Amino acid sequence: MIAAAGKVARTRTRGNGLFWCGVGYLVLLVLFAIFGPSLKHPYDVTVGAPFLPPSGQFWLGTDEIGRDIFSRLAYGARLSLLIGVVVQVIAVAVGILVGVLSVFGPKWVSIPLQRFTDGMFAFPDLLLAIMIVGVFSMGVGPVILGLAVGAWPPVARLVKNQVASLKDREFVTASRAMGASTFYLVIRHILPHLWGVLLAVMMVDVAATILAESTLSFLGIGVQPPEPSWGQMIQVGNLNKNSYPLLLLWPCLILSLTIFALNFVGDGLRAMADPKKSGTH
Amino acid sequence: MADSSTSSVRTSSGDRATKLTGRAILLRLLYSLFSLIFISFITFMADEIAPGDAATIRAGDKVTAEQVQRIRREMGLDRPWPVRYVEFMGNAARLDFGVSAVGIQEPINKRLAATIPVTMRIAVLAILLASIVGITLGTIAAIRENRAADRAILSLSTLGVTIPNYVLLPVLVYLFAVQWDQLPATWQPDGRRVAGDIYYLIIPVVVLSLRPMATLTRLMRASMVETLGQEYVRLAVAKGVPRIQLYFKHCLRNAIIPVLTAIGTSFGYLLTGSFVVENAYTIPGIGRETITAITQRDTPMILAATLVTGAMFVAVNLIVDLLLPLIDPRIRESQV
Repeated sequence: MIAAAGKVARTRTRGNGLFWCGVGYLVLLVLFAIFGPSLKHPYDVTVGAPFLPPSGQFWLGTDEIGRDIFSRLAYGARLSLLIGVVVQVIAVAVGILVGVLSVFGPKWVSIPLQRFTDGMFAFPDLLLAIMIVGVFSMGVGPVILGLAVGAWPPVARLVKNQVASLKDREFVTASRAMGASTFYLVIRHILPHLWGVLLAVMMVDVAATILAESTLSFLGIGVQPPEPSWGQMIQVGNLNKNSYPLLLLWPCLILSLTIFALNFVGDGLRAMADPKKSGTH
Repeated sequence: MADSSTSSVRTSSGDRATKLTGRAILLRLLYSLFSLIFISFITFMADEIAPGDAATIRAGDKVTAEQVQRIRREMGLDRPWPVRYVEFMGNAARLDFGVSAVGIQEPINKRLAATIPVTMRIAVLAILLASIVGITLGTIAAIRENRAADRAILSLSTLGVTIPNYVLLPVLVYLFAVQWDQLPATWQPDGRRVAGDIYYLIIPVVVLSLRPMATLTRLMRASMVETLGQEYVRLAVAKGVPRIQLYFKHCLRNAIIPVLTAIGTSFGYLLTGSFVVENAYTIPGIGRETITAITQRDTPMILAATLVTGAMFVAVNLIVDLLLPLIDPRIRESQV
């Protein structure tokens, strides 16, 4: 599937520089997250004087208590990518289940499910995640839970609409006439049409999740120290911006670039999945 | 001529339209009520599922299981959850959220009353700014489609959607407060302000409005581009309607409708955005209060703040939906 997607990508995005810039950046970021920490010092130990400028020993300088910023950024990348991907995998899994059930399920399942999904939209943006982190506790686990609970309803709605529009297409009716079960229909004929759209949506939503995670960490209610996260580093940088603006610059830079890259890749994938709609988003 | 005929149709069906709108308003109110009940239910259930309850918090660490059990009975927490949910909802409907679990156990509604107006003032100013600028820029971009102005506005709006509040706010404070010393670097209580109110509002309002502004700009552009391609617009051009009149009289009113709906949704981003801005700019609003409550594990306060923030979101969406039929007669008549 990936090889096929790559081939389609090459033919449809020729000349789409931003898409390939985004892909390149993300590959570098993943390498940075995997190997970055082992290049340098451990992330939670003081290794130098506070607020050292960038040097040969500390590539990006040191933070407020003398930890190496480079390796903290790398650990932050690890955590951001992990949370972003895990949350989205949960959201897409739940979204597909709910979306398919609210089309093909029996009435006593589908109607309550649809109302429940609609109801979830009554919560503005991050509020649900903030509340869940509030009543459970802070840290990586509750953050993933809180963000996943807020992330599945849009996916479910998207899947529901797509499935509903595919349901009455001729190839589905033909397959049903030949005696296919609903389960087989969904797996074999309907879901394969959704992967492209879902992959595109997932890229953009991973960006949204990473942003949400760093928002929570910035507010001090997400990932807890000493585990480093970009949001936390921005918070510390914000407190020290008058005396040492570089501390604020690095995490802001890597976060913004990551968000841009994911959005470019998502837009590119969307254009591939649905050439008609490219450019409207 | 076309104008006079449509207006005559409108007046003849006006009576029927008002009647239908009455019923539509009722349905919309019921829907909002359902949303509020849903929010309260999810909030209550999250607290139920979470480990620990009000009794363990009040009891502290150094008590036996029996003592916790006794406190739980005294607080009525041993009753089944549906009973307690109805009680919780009834109290919330009377704006009684109990007392804070920490400190001097202040009544929560007193703290809400002190913080909500601060948040609302900034949020309303921000959404107004976002709407006005977003609609203007979106219209300009659509009129100049694919020209330099359009490209510039689109790139700026991409920036606006992707740059988070907590990156923009420190940057603006660093530039305008630290480097150029033109605006205050933090909020000050009323008594200690050195200049007018407006100086303290500029940075938070601008930061908060940026993301909704960018979203609304993109939406307005898309909607206006679509409207400009419609048959009736081409007819108007062929008839020789002056450009200005074409844009503002014939197109704007049609193109603006999806944008108005989106203002309600954008308000949600704005409310949670104010959590960030209030904390980073030390504004004593509901967002800052909530985060303080979370770090102090003050569960009743967290639940109340969630309910109230959710209710504000529901209310704004309701207001937008009730205002829409005033602009679009088709909605007036389709709401059967």
